[in-house]
Amino acid sequence: MRTMLKIENLTATVGDEDDAKTIINGLTLEVPKGEVHAIMGPNGAGKSTLSYVLTGRDGYEVTGGSATLNGDDILDMDPEERAAKGLFLSFQYPVEIPGVPVMTFVRAAMNAQRKTRGEDEISAPDFIKKSREVGKALKLDAEMLKRALNVGFSGGEKKRLEIYQMMMLEPNFLILDETDSGLDIDALKTVSDGVNAMRSPDRGMLVITHYQRLLDHIKPDKVHVLSKGRIVATGGPELALRLEKEGYEGILGEVA
Amino acid sequence: MTTALRDLIANPNAAELELVARYGMQPEDVRRERLFGAFAQSGLPNRRMEAWKWTDFKAALTTLDRPSTASVEDPIPYDGALVFKFTPTGFEAPADLPNGLSVFEKGEAQALGAAEDVPMGALAASLAGEKSRPATVLLEVTSSDLPRLHFQFSGAGEASFARIVIVVRPGMAVTVSESHLGGAGLEASVIEFGLQKNASAVRTIYQRGSREEAVASTALVHLDAEAQYTQTTLSFGAKLARLETRVTHQEPSASVTLNAAYLVGKGLHTDITTHVRHGANSCVTRQLTKGAVLDGGTGVFQGKFFVPRTAGQYTDADMQHKALLLEDGAVVFAKPELEIYADDVECAHGNTCGALDDNQLFYMRQRGIPEKTARALLTQAFVAEALEEAGELEELLRGEAEAWLGAA
Repeated sequence: MRTMLKIENLTATVGDEDDAKTIINGLTLEVPKGEVHAIMGPNGAGKSTLSYVLTGRDGYEVTGGSATLNGDDILDMDPEERAAKGLFLSFQYPVEIPGVPVMTFVRAAMNAQRKTRGEDEISAPDFIKKSREVGKALKLDAEMLKRALNVGFSGGEKKRLEIYQMMMLEPNFLILDETDSGLDIDALKTVSDGVNAMRSPDRGMLVITHYQRLLDHIKPDKVHVLSKGRIVATGGPELALRLEKEGYEGILGEVA
Repeated sequence: MTTALRDLIANPNAAELELVARYGMQPEDVRRERLFGAFAQSGLPNRRMEAWKWTDFKAALTTLDRPSTASVEDPIPYDGALVFKFTPTGFEAPADLPNGLSVFEKGEAQALGAAEDVPMGALAASLAGEKSRPATVLLEVTSSDLPRLHFQFSGAGEASFARIVIVVRPGMAVTVSESHLGGAGLEASVIEFGLQKNASAVRTIYQRGSREEAVASTALVHLDAEAQYTQTTLSFGAKLARLETRVTHQEPSASVTLNAAYLVGKGLHTDITTHVRHGANSCVTRQLTKGAVLDGGTGVFQGKFFVPRTAGQYTDADMQHKALLLEDGAVVFAKPELEIYADDVECAHGNTCGALDDNQLFYMRQRGIPEKTARALLTQAFVAEALEEAGELEELLRGEAEAWLGAA
């Protein structure tokens, strides 16, 4: 099966029943194995909502359509089941987890996923070895991995820790939500190198971003433009360059 | 005289009448009479008293009965500790005492300062001498090399009372642990610390009880110059559990850490009440209380810092209370109070009460951690902060908290 993520005519609302707003409105998208797709769009287009709907956050209600990952309907699964199926979201704003050291957290996550999949837990020496390798690649200080996850870390450090978790957990489908926000040029390069190292014929990626800048570092196979909850334009990397030049208004004016 | 005392108590219930009768069985003694009088003027503390409005002993303790539940096992290891056991019918002290520790078992009651402020402490002090047990167990610490002193309160019965006084001589240090393990319908104890110049004490309190038991632990701590006192409480509650600590900084430059964690399940109640008087200049108090409560459980936090006008200058004090309501139906009452008359002080307080953070839960679940595990991990980390100053017993207390959270 070549298609990994398949979204068909998806609609979703945000908020309480009384004042639920439709944010995703008939979205259709396919990401095949081995490809990296970018989703660009103006503020309020539904980019972050899409990432939360796909990962199963409370408060985001699917009202129609479907989404499958490797043929499995993911919309009925708990967030942790989706994670065990290999779905990983790199958060725009990584959350602080006080009192839980980075390595403890990632090991708990890894073993929980393995348990759900019916696999053995990773041994402590194997985990530490792997952590050391990944930490080195991301230029992470070993001391940092012993501190509470994201607590007191800079924006750039938090993003690098997202990539650390991604490389440790080796998910098969990645959603990167505004991974470039809050990064200086050097950090952007480190983070992009990490993501690029994850590219593989067996893995798909959805890169959500405002700006074309990130796509200089993570070259997408396709670019989609999201507006008012649906994909309104699809093209190659050149579409991102056009957006950068003409702005969303130019492109959206054309397709509207 | 017994009749007169009974008349003091308005509409006495069966439990109060039983307490009066127990008092009447003891030999007459002016100091004991004063102690019991301090209790009898209010009777069992009740909701009409400001300091007891959330913890009503009179309503909870209508009769004095032996509970159907037994004491829980003591999780605190002896590890060579000097163990003192208090039960409803007896008292046991270590047979051999090391140099540097003197123990006096006093048959007569001793006066208790501010007895009116601590009615349950006054009750404990007036009845501690029942059944040929010492009215006061006085310990004098003249060495810093003693093993830990462990006080265990357990055993089946209607009621159990104890009074302990620990005097730590100048420059000496002592470690004390205390287990309140249930078994009695009412367990009331009062423990006093007199920390002389530059002396220090580390005290750990473990309390666990059933829905048929009431516990009142009262501590009075007096610090001389540069003395240090560090207290860590882990309480799982009982039908009612009141763990009260009253601290007096009576000479300059003393420092106190008062930490507590309460984990309360269905049908249980824990009350952490503290009063700190900064009666001398340049004293430091650090207080952190963390609570986690399930549906049907009740947590109470009452903290007060009192800083008089001239004596309390350069006070440095911080009071934090944070509670997690783990389920709908959990109840927490909190009253943090700062009463400050001195003008050159640093006093801070914070008080929060809420559910676990949805952002944190979702983040953890997105990484594959099941919701139940995520909740337990977050709550463990939350509570652990309040146990960090427990020294050699920190790991043990953490383990007990984790076991409770894992089962919750």
